[in-house]
Amino acid sequence: MFWRGARQRWWRRVAIAPGTALPQRRLFLLPTRFGLGWAGLVLLLLLFGINYQNTLAYILAFWLLALGVVTLLRTWRNLLGVSATLRLPQEVFAGGEARLGMHLTGGRPRTALELHGGGASARVDLPDGQGEATLALPAPRRGVQPLPLLRLETRWPLGLVRALAWLECRESLLVYPRPLDDEEPGHRLAGAGLEATDFAGLRRAEPGDSPARLAWKQWSRTGVLAAKAFSVPPRQQLWLDYDACRGDPERRLSLLCARVLAHHRAGDRYGLRLPGVTLPQGEGPRQRREALEALARCVPPGAQGAER
Amino acid sequence: MIRRRGTRLGAPAVLADGRALSGAMLRQLFVGQCLVLALHLAWMPAWLVGVAVAVAGYRHVQLRRRLPRAGILLRLVAVAGVLVALWLQYGTLHGMEGLIGLLLGVYLLKLLETHSRRDARVVVLIGLVTTTVAFLHDQGILMALGALLAVAWLVQSLVWLAGAGGARQAWRETAWLLVLSAPLMALLFLVFPRLGPLWNMPQVDRASTGLTDEIAPGDIAQLSRSDARAFRVRFDGREPAPAERYWRVYTLSHFDGERWTRAEPRRLAAALGRPEGDFVREASRSPWLAETAPRFTAELLLEPDSRPWRPSLGAPLATDTRQRFLADGTLEGLTPLSSRSLLRLESTGLSPANPDPAGPGWHAMLPPRGNARTRELAERLWQESGGEPRAFLAAIMARFGEAPFRYTLSPPRLTSADRVDEFLFESRAGYCTHYASALAVLARAVGLPARVVAGFLGGERHPDGHFTVRDYDAHAWVEVWLDGGWQRIDPTAAIAPERIEEGAQAVDDGGEAFLADAPFSPLRMREIGWINRLRLDWERLEYRWQRGVIGYQREARSAFMSRLTARLQAFWAWLAEAAPGRGTFAALLGLLVAGAGLAVGALLLRLGWRRHREGRDERVLMRRLQAWLARRDLGPRPGESPSAHLRRIALLAGGAGPALDECAQQLERLRYARLGAAERRERRRRLVQRAAEVRRRLRRGPARA
Repeated sequence: MFWRGARQRWWRRVAIAPGTALPQRRLFLLPTRFGLGWAGLVLLLLLFGINYQNTLAYILAFWLLALGVVTLLRTWRNLLGVSATLRLPQEVFAGGEARLGMHLTGGRPRTALELHGGGASARVDLPDGQGEATLALPAPRRGVQPLPLLRLETRWPLGLVRALAWLECRESLLVYPRPLDDEEPGHRLAGAGLEATDFAGLRRAEPGDSPARLAWKQWSRTGVLAAKAFSVPPRQQLWLDYDACRGDPERRLSLLCARVLAHHRAGDRYGLRLPGVTLPQGEGPRQRREALEALARCVPPGAQGAER
Repeated sequence: MIRRRGTRLGAPAVLADGRALSGAMLRQLFVGQCLVLALHLAWMPAWLVGVAVAVAGYRHVQLRRRLPRAGILLRLVAVAGVLVALWLQYGTLHGMEGLIGLLLGVYLLKLLETHSRRDARVVVLIGLVTTTVAFLHDQGILMALGALLAVAWLVQSLVWLAGAGGARQAWRETAWLLVLSAPLMALLFLVFPRLGPLWNMPQVDRASTGLTDEIAPGDIAQLSRSDARAFRVRFDGREPAPAERYWRVYTLSHFDGERWTRAEPRRLAAALGRPEGDFVREASRSPWLAETAPRFTAELLLEPDSRPWRPSLGAPLATDTRQRFLADGTLEGLTPLSSRSLLRLESTGLSPANPDPAGPGWHAMLPPRGNARTRELAERLWQESGGEPRAFLAAIMARFGEAPFRYTLSPPRLTSADRVDEFLFESRAGYCTHYASALAVLARAVGLPARVVAGFLGGERHPDGHFTVRDYDAHAWVEVWLDGGWQRIDPTAAIAPERIEEGAQAVDDGGEAFLADAPFSPLRMREIGWINRLRLDWERLEYRWQRGVIGYQREARSAFMSRLTARLQAFWAWLAEAAPGRGTFAALLGLLVAGAGLAVGALLLRLGWRRHREGRDERVLMRRLQAWLARRDLGPRPGESPSAHLRRIALLAGGAGPALDECAQQLERLRYARLGAAERRERRRRLVQRAAEVRRRLRRGPARA
């Protein structure tokens, strides 16, 4: 345990921030198990050459040794100077995975770079000096999750050694609760079918308006392209209340999350009452994001001790 | 576009799950196996090819039909089958052939259970070992080229396993690796110290080529049927004329009425009740012929053989390594040769002049009975020549030169108990062994000490000056003790002088026996100019390879290293020469060293100065401080200016707060205020101090955001 902690601390010390080109001092070379086997093989062949006084065995042993040395350099060079920039995933729900985007730039072609971290790994080649990798981190629990220490490594070209470097990202992931549909029929929502149908007047046409909605008659008459605007029928105005749900705190948050998503889809106005936090009623993507974030950050009463 | 190329560059060696090998990779491994197997093809049991094909076919069907993997039972049965087959083939599994066969079998069967990347790498490693083992059989150019191909293929497989995107990339990387590592390999090869064998290893059994240490009439005819190479030789200084190319290998001094046998020193010592040291000594200079001047200096490239024989032109005088010098003027190695090796040898070119410690009695000994007509003939000739040994021998030679005696490689078989009688008075046809045997028996019959010498006569001279001596050059002649020294008497010279002058092929009577076992030998086509030229070129190349590369063992390496040092010393001397005087030269060198030292010093100084200046630059200072803070989770937010960052941190930092605030203030002043040089210096000093204080305080009090 102590060693693990010390190792982690040391890794953090030598980690670099994303966005900087990997410097020489933060790049480490370690032999792989296959590399150790290779060293054993070289020794074996050398003994073979000595004991049988066999010149070709000597040559092969030396060649394999030289190959090892050259591989060391080429592996090191394959990773040196690579820089990674991070793209955080848009939204992550607990129980799903956080698809962490990585844009890697190397300046020259690189092969078989691997990205490890948080139990996930990805592989990427940079044939013309840049490439994209996606690391699917598992997100088992709701809340603020610091990004794990990422390890960038390569074993190209022979797998004898691996060059590795640690990336430490300051950002953290906000994991929303896992949406849990309510079994109780009283909460079934029927708002998904709402369409904007009531004609509400004309507005200036904008690129991207559907041709069906353009006011062609007006255009032929006035020469000004307008679009018909419709208004949505009045929606439900409602409050989602933590105290109104049943179950343990995580279950309640999950239920609330599912409802937020459903009401957003339905275009409703909704507000959120959580212990200690109240989100006023609102609608639209902004409301959705704020609601989900509030759910993610929510500290349920009586759970402070249990939550770390 | 990147994405598109990214998808094209998959990981073809390994399936999408990242573990299982693809069919393409298994094919790669199989081709590698075939290449390695090709190196062993001439020596291994042929059914191993069947094993390779069967295993590959099984894997192919298994992958195609998605059958389950080979179970443990099948694998065990396969291994047991290979073991039994090897045992049936060789009768034992302990011999080197059995071990090599086992290695090959394991290598081939491993493909049955090769499922992951790790397995594939193990297969490649075994392949490399198997390639090396092939060098036990042969180290020629063709073997080296084949091994190069196999190793390149295996390395390429490893590149695939490491994640190559396509064949082009894999081969390019392989070529880079091999080319970049070649100079280092060459350097290691040249300078790595060569050691003697550390312990005894099982050796590959070699059929003994060349001579045996027992001659019955009929043996050497077998040799003349083969064109196998016995050894190659290059002379420093004078080369021997054709009639001087008598290579002594063994002396045969014991005659039992039918065959001549070699009296080995140990057996001789036991039989005569004398210490073995009387007959053989281990040395690098002949203890028997101390004051003789050498006439020939030769460098022999010996073929591997199961017996330790070393040919020498005449009696050996000195060698570059320790050898066993026998009292009869022949040479033996300490061990049999398991690979081709070089031997430098000085020799007399003549029969030895020292008396054999076994004594004249031993060399005049004949069985008490048998060959009565021969003894009678010897008595008569001895009487006729008046007890004069030279006249006696000349009479025998003259008799051999007369009509009924003829030289043939396919004489009638001698079957009676008195073979010499049968030869001398009935068949009168034979080759060197028959005549040498008869001459020695005749000489011994009148009490002249005589022995048969087995060796080689002749050798083909190549345009570049080296000689090749082949099995068909094997020869036997007689040495007689005359006038205080052994004298060479070759009865073949009386019957077939062209054998001595022109070599073994000159007496090819009808061709039915000469090279009979080598129907496709290029030596048969000596008459066709361009084929012969091609053959000579190839042999020259092969000789250079064997001598220069394969022969680069202990002696060659030490010679090379001493040459290298000599070159360096010569260069040094040349420098001293080129400079007008020793003093000037020393001064020049001193200046050079001093100049280099100064340059390095200046470089270091500049580097240090730059670091110092950078350390004084507030921007660098601040960057370092911020980086340090970032490591303690107090890093700047995106878009935050350094002073804003420090001020924000100051609120959280407790004891370090005032220092952080002052840092921010000093930084702003330094960056934006118009300051005099003195004040600037002062403020920088303060900034450095405050930054140090921040670190000190934060380290002490763990203030985390």
